[in-house]
Amino acid sequence: MFKFIIKKRQAPLVWSSCLVFFGALVLSLAVSAIMLALQNKPPLTAMVLLFNGAFGSLLAIQDCLIKAVPIFLCSLGVAIAFRLQIWNIGAEGQYVLGAIGATWVALRFPDLPWFVVLPGMLAMAFIAGGLWGLIPAVLKLYMRANEIIVTLMFNYLAILFLDYLVYGPWKDPVSFGFPMTREFSTSAIVGKIGHTQLNWGIILCIFSGVAIWIFFKYTRLGYELKASGENIKAARYAGLPYHRLVMLVLFLSGALAGWAGFLEASSTINRLQPSIVVGYGYTAIVVAWLARLNPISIGIASFLLAGLRVGLEHLQLDLQVPAAFGGIMEGLILLTVLAGSFFVDYRISLGKKS
Amino acid sequence: MRRAMFFWVFICVFAWGVASAADTPMKVGFVYVSPIGDAGWSYAHDQGRLDIEAMDGVTTSFVEAVPEGPDSERVMLNMARKNYNLIFATSYGYMDPMLKVAKQFPDIVFMHCSGFKTAKNMGNYFGRMYQARYLSGMVAGAMTKSKILGYVAAFPIPEVIRGINAFALGAQSMNPDVKVRVVWTKTWYDPATEKEAAKSLLDVGADVIAQHQDSPAPQEAAQEKGVYSVGYNSDMSKFAPKSHLCAPIWNWSPFYKEMMEKVQQGTWKSKSYWYGLEHGIVDITPMGSMVPEAVQKRVLAKKDEIASGKAKVFVGPIKDQSGKLRIAKDTPANDRELLGMTWFVEGVVGTTQ
Amino acid sequence: MNPELLIPLLAAAVQSGTPILYATLGEIFTEKSGILNLGVEGIMMIGALAAFVSAKFFGNPILAFLIGGCAGAFLAGIHGLVCLNFQGNQVVSGLALTILGVGLANYLGTPFIGQAAPGFSPTPLPVLSKIPILAPVFFNHDPLVYTAYLIPPAMWAFFRYTRWGMGMRAAGEYPRAASAAGLRVTGYRWAGVLVGGYLVGLGGAYLSLAYTHLWTNGLSAGRGWIAIALVIFAFWHPGRAVIGAYLFGGVMAFQLRLQASGTHIPSSLLLMLPYALTVMVLVLSSWKRQGTGVPSALGINIEPSE
Repeated sequence: MFKFIIKKRQAPLVWSSCLVFFGALVLSLAVSAIMLALQNKPPLTAMVLLFNGAFGSLLAIQDCLIKAVPIFLCSLGVAIAFRLQIWNIGAEGQYVLGAIGATWVALRFPDLPWFVVLPGMLAMAFIAGGLWGLIPAVLKLYMRANEIIVTLMFNYLAILFLDYLVYGPWKDPVSFGFPMTREFSTSAIVGKIGHTQLNWGIILCIFSGVAIWIFFKYTRLGYELKASGENIKAARYAGLPYHRLVMLVLFLSGALAGWAGFLEASSTINRLQPSIVVGYGYTAIVVAWLARLNPISIGIASFLLAGLRVGLEHLQLDLQVPAAFGGIMEGLILLTVLAGSFFVDYRISLGKKS
Repeated sequence: MRRAMFFWVFICVFAWGVASAADTPMKVGFVYVSPIGDAGWSYAHDQGRLDIEAMDGVTTSFVEAVPEGPDSERVMLNMARKNYNLIFATSYGYMDPMLKVAKQFPDIVFMHCSGFKTAKNMGNYFGRMYQARYLSGMVAGAMTKSKILGYVAAFPIPEVIRGINAFALGAQSMNPDVKVRVVWTKTWYDPATEKEAAKSLLDVGADVIAQHQDSPAPQEAAQEKGVYSVGYNSDMSKFAPKSHLCAPIWNWSPFYKEMMEKVQQGTWKSKSYWYGLEHGIVDITPMGSMVPEAVQKRVLAKKDEIASGKAKVFVGPIKDQSGKLRIAKDTPANDRELLGMTWFVEGVVGTTQ
Repeated sequence: MNPELLIPLLAAAVQSGTPILYATLGEIFTEKSGILNLGVEGIMMIGALAAFVSAKFFGNPILAFLIGGCAGAFLAGIHGLVCLNFQGNQVVSGLALTILGVGLANYLGTPFIGQAAPGFSPTPLPVLSKIPILAPVFFNHDPLVYTAYLIPPAMWAFFRYTRWGMGMRAAGEYPRAASAAGLRVTGYRWAGVLVGGYLVGLGGAYLSLAYTHLWTNGLSAGRGWIAIALVIFAFWHPGRAVIGAYLFGGVMAFQLRLQASGTHIPSSLLLMLPYALTVMVLVLSSWKRQGTGVPSALGINIEPSE
């Protein structure tokens, strides 16, 4: 009788990483197509529609880019945390806090010129989001509280805080009592680039991506982070500052998600309202895991997952596929990539059962 | 001879003109803020959509669960680029995005629900659900023994608050000492929480449960305790046959049909449509057999009065919770006051936050 | 708030806490064997849907309840496959499961929204329902609440006194040593995942069969995550899980009753109570106890060659 012998590879194959990723993608698409077929929706048409809707025209690509911006920033933050094996599930809440922080500046100083207001909003979003990530870090380090649960609960708390603000103290006096703040003054809005639909937030993404890359490649702290992530016990033994790293990582994570919130509130909606919460924080977890830490891969993965969301709207419009289908695809992609990574990290051979 | 020929040519051209206008295939798009299943709001609009889909020469489509903001703008842009003729957006937050899209596509007609901005090719519409709520309040007020009515409500937005106020006024017209207690669930779809909210109202002594939620969970709670309930959006009596008194419901079909026909015939003009009982956009379901004949007659009589315009729901003197006079004696509230209602009338217990 | 409301509040706490209790117990069972399954929310949704649909088609609530559990176990099986066979990271796999499970349940459940199905109704227990204060709180509920009373002691006895229970604990505490001693660690972990998933599915089924008799999108509304937190609060002990679940159910019921009593506190702030409370109890539990109770090998995959 034969049995499988499974051995861990000394070094994971590099080229097969990409292969596995694409294989997983294809598999998830295939399963999704089957699910559509089961509900009597034409599977092939759906897949074509999905791609066309997401990437088939310049306008579509623009739409994807716009959507990719907040996903990218949240994912970058989450990926940094994941590298240190800190499971930051709280990107959603940190995103909200960033939006709240930026809104506070916008509402408080509407008449100042844009070169004062926008940096102010940027700074406030950074701090607010960062703090919302820092608190769970402190609780983890000094009270041993599991960060998965704490960051998750903080998501709920953040969203409820947002609700409280827009239904109460920050409610717009002219919007007939609907829960939203006043519209931001023009100096508080991040503008569009030329005649496109894109906004200057893209610059923020590029800046963050480059900054993080430099941080990991060239600074000592970045090196320590990478090393600690691989083997925490050994790193502590070697004297690396684990506590500082955890706090830094969660603060940065939250700050980046906070910037995403700032951009959404300022540029895309021009005010703060509950519908700013669309699940970017959770998509970021998927992206961060798929793309590991390379900012370029995170960029690509964010773009692809943004494309998924955009393409899905076409499926809804033309084929009446329910909105929940998006969650199925995201979950499937993640699971198949996880399972597929097995073949990258381990070698399987046939052997004889003794 | 020539005159006859001209006459016939004229008839043919005219007939052809009418025929082609009638045959213009129409593509109508709908944008919903929640899934059509669980939010009775979107479900009701979708029922209207299905009715116009059944008409000749019309194809409709929809996108559900579209967050307000840039996503909705993109969805509407997609519809516009795919040459839809008429687009309906059914949530307040779609207003600004719709305006932006309307400016880019002047040949398409845009209709926004529950808002106030208009353009040459964009109008807005709403329904006077509060009229139906008033009637349901009358029934509740007549049937309560404890004089406490419970209201399970989702979010403190003006239309919900307006509905609660109308309900309270209706109840007070039958029973002046009635109090309405409000619990906010902060969710449109969580039957477990809605049921728990209903139970908490039952615990403080309410013996009629009304709701501005989309699941029948509060009805279940009332039935289990053996008290009465008022449904919403559809006849919920099948969930609570012994307790369901009546339900205020939406009926968007006549409105959507009217809009579609106007666009088809080219007679559509941008304005604000706020239809009510008189157009059949809102209504109450037939009342359950437990409601006495006399009460039913009175309610139906009031319905006719409101529908014919003889009576209005929000006519002063109306005071708010703190006792301040909000609507002067014998003055009907104007639409703007109604659209922005963020205060409770006297007799309602609860916060508006 | 009126003191007369206390008894109804406690009764509501028990009922509201029951689905969370099933889920917490299930997750305790899984984590004891060393597997961390964060997909509880997704599994609850699938269990709720499966139970609802079964009740509609078969008309038998008890059968539907059991089928809900099976659906939960099935979904948990995917997690088991990814982690135990493919060495996938347990945290990420669980999160993926949540995204998938919630999406799947919402998608497949679309045709059933707004419908009712036969379920369970409150049935007072014969003798016990006469006891003055305890009766309305504990003995005047639907049968599934009573079943939930039986599981914690059974689980406690299982882990403490049976060979299998001890084997599972070994798989969660020192899997390498256990494996060397001849125990089939992977087998125990599979049992942990599947049985745990079954219980979580039952928790979901409770929502659509007893708590309400309805199905709608997002029925579980975050209860799965609360259950995961409560596992830590309970120090992985079934008895404390009961306290945690009822406490949490109580807070949810409490803030609603506070509103009904006419408070002026904004509802958004009141709604924060359950989540803030969860953080507080989590912090206090972890801080004082030096992390006792956590299975040492929780979340760590065992290399296949070991």
